[in-house]
Amino acid sequence: MNMFAKRCLIVAAVGLFGASTAFAQDDQAKSLDELLKMVQQSKISESKEHKQREAEFLRDKANQQSNLNKAKATKAAEERRSEELEKKYKEQEIQVAAKRKQLQERLGSLKELFGHLTSTAGDLRSNINTSVVSAQYGDRTVFLDELIDKMNSATKLPKIEEIEKLWYEMQRETVEGGKIASFTGTVIKPNGDKLTQTIVRIGNYNLVSDGKYLTFDPKNGKIEELVRQPDAFTANAAALQNATSGFTKTGIDPTGPAGGSLLQALINSPSLEERWHQGGTTGYVITAVGAFALLLALIRFFALVGISSKVSAQLKQEKANPNNPLGRVLKVAEDNPNVDGETLELKLEEAVLKERPAIESGLQLLKIISMVAPLLGLLGTVTGMIVTFQAITIFGAGDPKAMAGGISGALVTTVLGLIVAIPTVLLHTFLNGKAKRVLHILEEQSAGIIAENAEKK
Amino acid sequence: MLALMDAIAAINAFMDTGGPILKWIAALTFVMWTLIFERVWYFKGSLKGDVQSALDTWEARKERKSWNAHQVRYALISRISEKINGNMDMIATMVALCPLLGLLGTVTGMIEVFNILAVTGGGDAKSMASGVSQATIPTMAGMVAALSGLFANTFLTRTAENEAQLLADHLTMDH
Repeated sequence: MNMFAKRCLIVAAVGLFGASTAFAQDDQAKSLDELLKMVQQSKISESKEHKQREAEFLRDKANQQSNLNKAKATKAAEERRSEELEKKYKEQEIQVAAKRKQLQERLGSLKELFGHLTSTAGDLRSNINTSVVSAQYGDRTVFLDELIDKMNSATKLPKIEEIEKLWYEMQRETVEGGKIASFTGTVIKPNGDKLTQTIVRIGNYNLVSDGKYLTFDPKNGKIEELVRQPDAFTANAAALQNATSGFTKTGIDPTGPAGGSLLQALINSPSLEERWHQGGTTGYVITAVGAFALLLALIRFFALVGISSKVSAQLKQEKANPNNPLGRVLKVAEDNPNVDGETLELKLEEAVLKERPAIESGLQLLKIISMVAPLLGLLGTVTGMIVTFQAITIFGAGDPKAMAGGISGALVTTVLGLIVAIPTVLLHTFLNGKAKRVLHILEEQSAGIIAENAEKK
Repeated sequence: MLALMDAIAAINAFMDTGGPILKWIAALTFVMWTLIFERVWYFKGSLKGDVQSALDTWEARKERKSWNAHQVRYALISRISEKINGNMDMIATMVALCPLLGLLGTVTGMIEVFNILAVTGGGDAKSMASGVSQATIPTMAGMVAALSGLFANTFLTRTAENEAQLLADHLTMDH
C-alpha cells in the first residue's frame, strides 16, 4: 500500500513538473520578479488579441443575412420531403394490415394448432428440465428452445419434421420414465474425481451407480455422487445394478420435482460422529468421564471377582490363608487362641475395618460419576441454549434453521450425560452388590466361622 | 390366533413409533420383572427350605447360650438374609433407571425433531410427528415401567424384611 502511494506521488510530481515546463517553454522565468513581469507582458499581448478578434467579427457581420436565407430555404425543402414520406408510410401501413389479414385467413385453424404446440413444447421443456431422464439423453432442450422461438416469431413457421420430433420427444420421456435403464456416464465423486461409470436410472426417480445413489443437476447436466448415502438401501442398489432379469428389491426416493429430495436433505443431517462433536467441550468432558468410569468399573470388577473367589475358597478351608480378607480376619483369631469373646470381637472388628477400604475402593467414585454425568449433560444443554439465545439476539428469530442446529447440539450433551449415567448406575449396583457380599461375610459371619471352627476341633 | 397376531402387530407398530430407546426400555423392564418374579419364586419356594435347614442346624446344637452359639446364630441369620436380599438392590436400581431411559428417549426424539426442523425449515409439521412420538412414547413407557416396578419393589422389600425378622425370631435362645 505504502509503495503504491509513493509511486502515485512520484507520478503526480512528474506530471506537474512536465506541465509547468510546457507552459514556461517560450518564456523561462529565472526569478519571481521576472515571472511577475512576464505576467504583465502577457496581459498586454492578450488585450491586443481581443482587439484583433473584435475587428474580425465586425467584418463577418455583413455576411450573416445571406447565410440566414440559405438555411431557411433548406428547412422548407426538408419539410416538403417529410410530408411525402408520411403519406407513403400511411399507404404502406394499410398494405401491411391487408397482408396481415390475409395471413390470418390463410392460417385459419392452423393458428389454434400452433398455440397448442407452443404450450405443449413449453410444458415438455419444463418437464425435461427437471427430469432424471435428461441425465441419459442430454441436449433435448436445444431443439425445444428453437421450436418455441420459431412459434413465437411472426415470420417463421415450424416444419412438419419438427412437429413430429416434438411428438417423439414427448413419447420418449413417457416411455423412459417407466423403464430401468443403464447407460455410461461421467460421475463426479465427492472428492472431485470424474469417473466414467455404468449408471442405472430407476424410472424418473433416482440414479444409482456401484451401489451409490447419485444426484443429477439438470442445469449443468452434471451427475454427482451423494456425499452421504442411505446405508440401508445401498446394498439393494448394487443388487439392482448387477441383476439381469427378474425382480430386485430396491429403495427409491420419489420426493421433489425430479426425485431424490430426501436423499439430498440427508447431506444436511449429521452422522453419529458429527452429533457427538456437536456436544462441544462439555460433550468431550462427559465422554472422558464415562470412559474413566468404564475403566474403573472394569478394574474393580476383576479385583472383586478375585477377592470373592478367594473368600469362597477360604470358607471351605479350616486354616487361615492370608492372601484374602477373610483369611486375614480369621488369622487374628488363630493368633489369639486364648482371649475371651469380647476381646476377640473387638480385635475382629478392627481387622474387618482394615479390610473395608480395599474392598470398597472406587465404588463411591463410580456412584459420584453416575450422578455427575447427567448434571454435566444439563450444564451442556444450558450453555447450548445460551449460545442459541445469543444467536437469536444477533440474527433474530426469523430463521428456524439457525436456531435448530444450536438446540439439537445442546440436547446432545443431555443424551451423552444419560448414556454415561445409565450404565454407570447399573455397574455401580452390580459391583456394590459383589463388594457387599464380601463385607457381609467379613462383618457378620467371620465370628460365626471362628466359632464353628472352634467347635469342630 | 388372529387376535394374537393382531396384538403382535399392534405391539410392533407401537415399538416402531417409539423409536430405538423403547426397545431398551422394554429390555430393561423384562429383566426387571424377571428378577422380581425370581424373588417371588424364591420367597414362595426354596426360602422355606433354607429357613428350615437353618432352624435344624440351630436346633441340633447342644447348647445355645455361649459366645460361640451367639456368633453361629448371627452367621446363620446373615447367610439367610443375604439370600433373601439378593438382587433386591438391582431391582431398585432398575426401577430408578426406567424414567432415566424415558428421558433419554425424550431427548433423542427432540434431537430428531430439531434435525427435521433444520432440514425442512419447519414448514411441514407432519414430518416432525415421528420425532415427537419418539420423544413422548419412551417417556410414558419409562414412567409406566417404573411405576409397575415400584409397587413390586415395595412389596418385595417388605416381604424380605418380614422374612428376615421371622427367621431371627425363630432362632430362639431360651432352651
